[in-house]
Amino acid sequence: MPVEADAVANRRDAGGEAAPTSVALLQARGVSRHFEGMHAVEDVSIDVQPGRITGLIGPNGAGKSTFLAVLAGTLPASSGTIIFDGTDVTRMPAFQRARRGLVRTFQLPSEFAQLTVLENLMTAAPDNRGDSLIGALLGRRYWGVDEDRLVMQARVLLDRFRMSAKESDYAGSLSGGQKRLVEIMRSLMLRPRLLLLDEPMSGVHPSIVGEIASYCEALRDDGLTILIVEHELHMIERLCDPVIVMAQGHVIGQGTMTFLRQQREIVDAYLVG
Amino acid sequence: MTYYLTTVLVYAGVDALACLAISLQFGVSGIVNFSFIIFQAAGAYTAGVLSMPPDTANGGFQTYILGLNLPFPLPWIGATVVGALLAPPIGLVVLRRLRSDYQAIAMLVLSVIATLVVTNTPPFLDGAAGLALVPQPLANLLDPSSAGYEWAYAAATVVLAAIVFVIAQRIINSPYGRSLRAMRENELAANALGKNSVALKMSVFVVGGAIAGLSGAILVGFITTWAPSTWLYPETLILFAAVIVGGRGNNYGAVLGALLVPVGFEEATRYIPPFGPPGLIPAFEWVCIGGLILGFLWFRPRGVIPERRRVFRVAAAKQPEEERGAG
Amino acid sequence: MSLIVAAFGFGLVSMSIIAIAAVGFTMQFGITNMINLAYGQVMIASAFAAYAVNNAGVNIWLSMIVGAVFGAVFSFLLNRGIYAPFQRKGTNLIGMVIISLAVSLVIANVLLPIAGYDSVSYHLDTGATFHAGSIALTGVQIAIMAVAVVVMVVVHSLLHFTRLGKAMRATAANPTLARNCGIPTARVIDLAWLITGALCGVAGVVAGMNSDAFAVANGSEFLIPIIAAAVLGGAGHPYGAMIGAVIIGEMTELSAAVISPEYKQVVAFAVLVLVMVLRPQGLLAKRGALAAAG
Repeated sequence: MPVEADAVANRRDAGGEAAPTSVALLQARGVSRHFEGMHAVEDVSIDVQPGRITGLIGPNGAGKSTFLAVLAGTLPASSGTIIFDGTDVTRMPAFQRARRGLVRTFQLPSEFAQLTVLENLMTAAPDNRGDSLIGALLGRRYWGVDEDRLVMQARVLLDRFRMSAKESDYAGSLSGGQKRLVEIMRSLMLRPRLLLLDEPMSGVHPSIVGEIASYCEALRDDGLTILIVEHELHMIERLCDPVIVMAQGHVIGQGTMTFLRQQREIVDAYLVG
Repeated sequence: MTYYLTTVLVYAGVDALACLAISLQFGVSGIVNFSFIIFQAAGAYTAGVLSMPPDTANGGFQTYILGLNLPFPLPWIGATVVGALLAPPIGLVVLRRLRSDYQAIAMLVLSVIATLVVTNTPPFLDGAAGLALVPQPLANLLDPSSAGYEWAYAAATVVLAAIVFVIAQRIINSPYGRSLRAMRENELAANALGKNSVALKMSVFVVGGAIAGLSGAILVGFITTWAPSTWLYPETLILFAAVIVGGRGNNYGAVLGALLVPVGFEEATRYIPPFGPPGLIPAFEWVCIGGLILGFLWFRPRGVIPERRRVFRVAAAKQPEEERGAG
Repeated sequence: MSLIVAAFGFGLVSMSIIAIAAVGFTMQFGITNMINLAYGQVMIASAFAAYAVNNAGVNIWLSMIVGAVFGAVFSFLLNRGIYAPFQRKGTNLIGMVIISLAVSLVIANVLLPIAGYDSVSYHLDTGATFHAGSIALTGVQIAIMAVAVVVMVVVHSLLHFTRLGKAMRATAANPTLARNCGIPTARVIDLAWLITGALCGVAGVVAGMNSDAFAVANGSEFLIPIIAAAVLGGAGHPYGAMIGAVIIGEMTELSAAVISPEYKQVVAFAVLVLVMVLRPQGLLAKRGALAAAG
């Protein structure tokens, strides 16, 4: 793929940003995250364009996962702003961002182990009248209709990801790859606008990696915007455009993998870091 | 004999209520409320000072606040409300992002502080002596010493326990209950899926507090006294042992635990002939409770009745398969 | 005013006792991630072990050694027999709290029939009373303070000048890394429990020496000021525990003089809750106890 003329590498000292080709779904401006003297993320500004899969790569300790956590609201930003879909979400806790369509997954397995696969999906479903104390007290007659509708939705999703047979299995009994798929399906129940995937290929059997990548492509084709933090560079190359590179808390480059591979300092940072 | 049976029933009902509350908080939602006994005590004291005459009455040997002489069922309602009202301040203090064992210990210490403060502030709730001569519900209309009254009291306790059981069932089997369980499994992931875990925890805390307050009111109306020695922190541990033994995360397990541990245990030791120096049997009881906890946590952590797997019934009409090129 | 100064003097003794105990307690937490709520009971059991020997005619200082050995062995067995197996099984933090509570219940109630319900006191000569202004301390109390100083020096030397001490610090900081570096963490942990158990025993005996009489029921009273001191100084940090002990020791005695004796305990308890809730990492520690995990 040709390098976009606007894909200018962000130099460490300049801190400039790429001119957006369309209104960015997510804008981070000057985001920093300090904790106990460590500068995990330092003055990072990126745009995530809608309908694309953006990659976020970098050596270990670059701050990628921390930055993703700040975007999602799991960790508060020490400074900077995050604008999602036109709204400033910087001060919003994670659960509010999720309700607005900014959803993340986790690098470590985070399935609800003692709930079944279907329950895992059902938990994520919003708009369930029974999902409040009052609703619960009013009984099944009150929320049964919502529940049945959402069960059907969940089953469609399970079918699409070919896990219908596992519907009633405890999520904790699944393999790593299956847990990852459950996490993705769970996120999809929220009808997200932007999905933040934190190293979705880690801990997954190599044979499943391609499968997950295919699902990501299909989701993008359906209109979902995705930001992936990953080490699996083959997958990044296949899926992502653009790719953002971080090292030591800063953004040091952006572009396609081909373009980035030609940037000496990026190769150095990755190999050295 | 009547008195014995009705006493067992009332204690069974009260313990069942307490275990249901703890099960909701601990088994379902993963909140370790080691300050539980405060809520039950608050309910008992509230029912006491609402139903008792002003403290100058009865020879004035007690000092306590209020003393409004309210008729039944107002004291019990008041107790339930106070139990619910205590939840936000205590919850706000401890239900933050904290290591779970720190949280648990902080709450345990809170209940110890509460005991100490009440004991050392006599004008509040009559200090170490506690409340006595608490009027029994409807004592002005019925004769509390009659067998009929005893049975009615026991029946009322059981009915209330059954009502709370139904409420607890509704909670657990609802989408709200599912969110609670998800929060228990992984709070961070639940938050990332749109669940406000702080609000969820607080709501469970309030519900549990209300139930605990009611249980205290029922108990004090029956035994007519209430002193700090009744609500020392090991009482909370007995209830936790009950929930662990009976089965976590489900109401049947909670009730079974209540019947086995606080009730069953007390009754079983009643039939052991007194042996050894006085106080040996209660000590023996505590050793057994400790042993029960350790034994169950080692061999059968899920308890006698484990949490059941939820299976959704198969849909009547299956969705038509959609062909997808990818995936 | 003289009451306050006198209380300050008593605070010096209190802090000495609490320091010995808190250092042991906090090291147990630092090295095995275990909040050992049975610590107070082990203290009182050791105090009674020392009493048994002392009552049979043995000198109090030798009895203290007996108490230390008892505490060491008891704590070692406690970890090997109960705590470590449950931890290996993957029991979560709450489970471990419940377990240590259950253990403390069992210890207390097994001890009761053996030791009886009555209060006992050691056979010792309290020695002359020394006065410095309004401060009045007996020879025994000064000796206790000396014991505390010796213990602190020994602990410091252990941690900084011996291989074992370095291994303990490494294991506390990162057990997996320590193991990968060739440190025999299992043996280090065993020794840690022996040493901290000895501290626990010594603390129990000196606490008994400082009181007119003690009984099994006192076991639970010790625990909370100790946890308060440990948490205040940052759980897992021995030096923090020493500082925490100074603060808690003085606070409890001064509040007894200024407010009332009954509230002596409440102050320590309130401090513990406040610290745990507002600043769980303690005054000194940088590393947070605000873990989302567990």
